[in-house]
Amino acid sequence: MAQTSMTLPKAKEPSNLKNWLGVSPFFLFAIMFILFPSLYLVEGSFFNQEGQFTLQNYVLLLQTPAIVNAYKLSIQISAATAIGGGIFGFLLAYSITVGGLPRQLRSALITFSGVASNFAGVPLAFAFIATLGRRGFVTLLLKDNLNIDLYQAGFDLYTFWGLTAIYMFFQFPLMVLVMVPALDGLKREWREAAENLGASYFQYWTRVAMPILLPSILGSMILLFGNAFGAYATAYALTGGRLGIITIQIGAQIRGDVLHNPGLGYAMAMGMVIIMAISLVGYSWLQKVSERWLR
Amino acid sequence: MASKGLRKVVAMSDTSFDISVDQGEPDKKTRSLLRIGGRFWSWVWFILGAIYFLVPLFATLRHSLRMERDVLGFKAYERAFEDPSFLETFLLSNALAVATILCSTLLIVPTAYWIRLRLPQARRIAEFITLLPFVIPAIILVFGLIRTYSTHFTIPFTDIELFQPLTTTKFGTYALITAGYMVLAMPYMYRSVDTGMRVVDIRTLTEAAQSLGAGWFTIITQVILPNVRSALLSGALLTFAIVVGEVTLASFLGVDAFGPYLFLIGQHKAYEPAALSFVTFLMTWFAMGMIQFVTGGQGQATGAH
Amino acid sequence: MSYLSLENVTKQFGDVVVVDKFNLGIEKGEFVSFLGPSGCGKTTTLRMVAGFELPTSGRITLDGVDITDKAPNQRNVGMIFQAYALFPNMTVAQNIGFGLRIRKMNSTDVHARVDEMLSLVNLEKHANKYPYQLSGGQQQRVSLARALAIRPEVLLLDEPLSALDAKIRVSLRQEIRAIQRRLGITAIFVTHDQEEALSISDRIVVMNVGEMEQVGSPFEIYNFPKTQFVANFVGSLNNADAEVVDPANGILAMDGVHFKTAEEDFSSRKKGDKVKISVRPERFSFAVEPKKDNVIDCTIESITFLGAVVRIQIKIGNTSFNMDTFNNPFLELPAIGAKEQVMCSKEAVLVL
Repeated sequence: MAQTSMTLPKAKEPSNLKNWLGVSPFFLFAIMFILFPSLYLVEGSFFNQEGQFTLQNYVLLLQTPAIVNAYKLSIQISAATAIGGGIFGFLLAYSITVGGLPRQLRSALITFSGVASNFAGVPLAFAFIATLGRRGFVTLLLKDNLNIDLYQAGFDLYTFWGLTAIYMFFQFPLMVLVMVPALDGLKREWREAAENLGASYFQYWTRVAMPILLPSILGSMILLFGNAFGAYATAYALTGGRLGIITIQIGAQIRGDVLHNPGLGYAMAMGMVIIMAISLVGYSWLQKVSERWLR
Repeated sequence: MASKGLRKVVAMSDTSFDISVDQGEPDKKTRSLLRIGGRFWSWVWFILGAIYFLVPLFATLRHSLRMERDVLGFKAYERAFEDPSFLETFLLSNALAVATILCSTLLIVPTAYWIRLRLPQARRIAEFITLLPFVIPAIILVFGLIRTYSTHFTIPFTDIELFQPLTTTKFGTYALITAGYMVLAMPYMYRSVDTGMRVVDIRTLTEAAQSLGAGWFTIITQVILPNVRSALLSGALLTFAIVVGEVTLASFLGVDAFGPYLFLIGQHKAYEPAALSFVTFLMTWFAMGMIQFVTGGQGQATGAH
Repeated sequence: MSYLSLENVTKQFGDVVVVDKFNLGIEKGEFVSFLGPSGCGKTTTLRMVAGFELPTSGRITLDGVDITDKAPNQRNVGMIFQAYALFPNMTVAQNIGFGLRIRKMNSTDVHARVDEMLSLVNLEKHANKYPYQLSGGQQQRVSLARALAIRPEVLLLDEPLSALDAKIRVSLRQEIRAIQRRLGITAIFVTHDQEEALSISDRIVVMNVGEMEQVGSPFEIYNFPKTQFVANFVGSLNNADAEVVDPANGILAMDGVHFKTAEEDFSSRKKGDKVKISVRPERFSFAVEPKKDNVIDCTIESITFLGAVVRIQIKIGNTSFNMDTFNNPFLELPAIGAKEQVMCSKEAVLVL
C-alpha cells in the first residue's frame, strides 16, 4: 500500500499540478477560515493601539494578575477534570472491556458515552442547576433525608468545584470512548504469555498491561485537558461570566474590549492557542507511541 | 460446529472472570478470587458512572414536569413550544446544521477521495489541517473570524483589500457561521470519511470501476458514495449534534440560533429551559443512537465543546 | 510412567466435545507434534497442558506430579504463541528476562541467563531493540528465548511458524529442532502443516474432531496411515472406489481394472465388498523393466510442472489419478491424450 502510494504519483508527475488543483477548494477553505483568522490574531497580538510592532502585549499578559489567574483557574479545572475524568473513565472502560461485565452493558455504556460527551453547553449547565443548584434535586435530597447541606459545607455550583463536577459529565465519557479501543487492543496472548512465565494477574497488570496502556492513558488525559480548556459555553451558561476562566475572559474582551487594549486580548487568545498546541503535540506523540505498541 | 466451538473458546477466555463457568475444581476457585474481586469493582464503577450520567437527566426531567404546583405535567413543554421564538431559532439552527453538513460533504468527500486516489503526498498536510480545530477552540475561532470578516477584508500583514465586511448582511453572517461550523466539524467529518474510504480501499474500487469502463459520474454516484455512506452519515449526525445546540459562534456572531435562545430563556424562566434541555438531550441521544446504528457500533462518537 | 502424561483428558465447551478421552505419554526429551485441521482440538489440548484451559475430566501429570488443576503461573512450562505475544513495551532483553524477574532471580543472574539465551537464538545484536523493530522470524526467536529462559520442564509451541514467510518457516523450524535437541527439552508442537510435522518430530499425533487418529513416527504416519483421514491429511493421495475380486490373493477391481494389494487383513473380506483404495501419486511410475506388481493402462490427461516434481494426471478406467515424477532436464514427457502404461507395487495400494 505504502509502496503503491509512493510510486503512483511519480508516474503521474506531468499532471501533478492538476492533481493539486483538485484539492485546492479544501486548502482555500482552510486558508480563509482557519489560517487567516489565526494570522489576524497573531498580527493583532504584536501591534499596539498606535499600530506599531511591539512585544508589550505579551509582557502585559504575564503582568496582569486577572489574566494570569484566569489561565491558572482554567488550567486547574482542566487538569482536575482531565485527571479525575481520565481515571474514572479508564476504570469504566476497563469494567466494560476486560472487567467481565456483560456484553450488553458495553454497548449501552458506549452509546451513552457518545451522548454525554456531546451533551455540553447550555443544556448541560441547566441540567446541573436542576441537580446540584441551591434548589437542585440532589441538594434537596441530601438536605431533607441525610441532613447534609452541601452549600453550608462550602460547595457552590458556581465555583471551581461546581464547574469541575459539570465538566466531568462530558470528560469521563470521552475517556471511555478513547480508552475502549486501546483496552480492546490488549492481546489475550500477552496475558497468557505473562501467566505462562509465572506472573500473577496483578503482576501482569502492573508490568505488562499498564505500561502498554500508559501512553494511551496519558495521551487521552491530554485530550481531555484540551477539551476542558477550550470549553466556553457551559461555563458561560452557568455563571453568566462571573467565573473568571480564560475563555470567559476572552469572551468578555470580544464583547466589549474590557481590557481597553485589543492587542492584549489577541495575546490572551494566542496564549490559549499555544497551550492547546503544546497539548496537541504531546497527544500526537503519545498516540504514536501507543499505536506502535497496540497495533 | 467448528465455528461454534471456536466461538465458545473465545467466550470462555473472555469470561474467565466469570464464576458461573466454574466447574467446581478447588484450584480454579482460589485462582479466580482476584478476578471475582475485579468483577465486583467493575460493577461499582459501572453503577457510579450510570448514576453520574442519569441523575442530572432525571433531575432535569423532574424539574421540567413540575411547572404546576403539586402535579407532574407537560406544561413547561407546552409553554416552551408555544413561544414563536422557539420554533424560529430551532428551525434556523437546523437549517444551519443542514447547510454545514451539505457544504462539508461537498468540500470534504472530493478532497479525501482525491487525496487517497491521486495525491497521497498531501495526506499529512490535510490531516494536520483537520487537527487544527482542536488547537483553535470555538471561542478563539470566533474571535479570529470576527476580526477577519467584520472589517474590510485585507490579507494579513498587508493592506490589500479583498472584500466588504461579511457581518453587515444577514446572508453574509449566515455564510460566515456556516463556515465556522464547517471548521468545528471538520475533524470529525474528514476523519470519518477518510477512514471509510480506507476501509473499503476506494482506490482499488475506482480502478476496478475504471477497468470496467465506468465514467467519473458513475464512479462517484455508484461506487464512491454508496461505500462511504455510513461513514458520511455518522460524520453528518455528529455535526448535527454539535451545531444544533452550539452557543459560542452563534452568540458572538449575533445569529439568533437555538443555543443563544436557550441561554436567553434560562435567564428569565424557570421550567421551560429544563424542558428544552431535556429535548436537546433526547436529540443528542437520537443522533448518537443513529451513529451506532449506521456504523454497526464502530462509529466515532465524540464532538467538541 | 511417561515424563508427561495425559490420561483420559476430555474437554467440553457446553455441549461441544472439543477433546475426547485423549491418552498420550511423552518421554523426556521427545519432540511430539499434534497435527490436524483447525478445530480438531490440538490447540485446546496444548492449552490444557499450559493450564489456560481446565480439562472437563482426566488427568495431566508432569514428572510424576499431577498438574491438572495447577494455575498456569504455577507450572514450569514454556509456551510459544502463533502471534509471538512479545510484550511491546519491553526490549528483547527485557522480554527474555521477564520470567526470571518474576521468579525474583537476582539481576546478575538474569543478565547472564539473558545473554546465554540471546546467543542461543543468535540475537545478541538485537538485545536492546523493541519487538516492533524486528522481523517476524526474529520476534519468534525472541519468544523462543523467553520461553526457554525459565528452564521449563516442557516447551509448548502453538503453531509458532504459521505467521511467517515460507523460507523463514523452514529455516526457523530447523533452528527450533536443533535447539530442542541440544537442550534435550521435551516439546509439544502444534501445527496444521503436515510437512512441518513430518520434518521436525520424533512422533506425530494426528487429530481429527477431538480424537486421536494415529500416533507414530513421521515415517509410519506417512507410509502406513491407519485411517482414511490420516492418509488424506498427510501427503497427497489418490482415492477411488473399488470392489473386492479375490480376497485370498489380494486382488480388487476399480472400473474393471484389476489391482493387487498387500493389505494385511484383506483376506478377511468377502468377494464383492465395496472398498476404498488409495495410492500416493509418487508411487506410480511409467512402466519399465523390471515390472512391478501392478501394470496398468492409462491415458494422459494433463501435465503440470511443479518445479522439482512433475504432476501428471492420468485416467485409469473412468477415474483420474495423479502421478508424480521427479523432474530432470532429460525427462521425456508423453503427449496429452497418449496411451501409456504405468505401474506400482502392491504395497502402494492402500485399502482403508
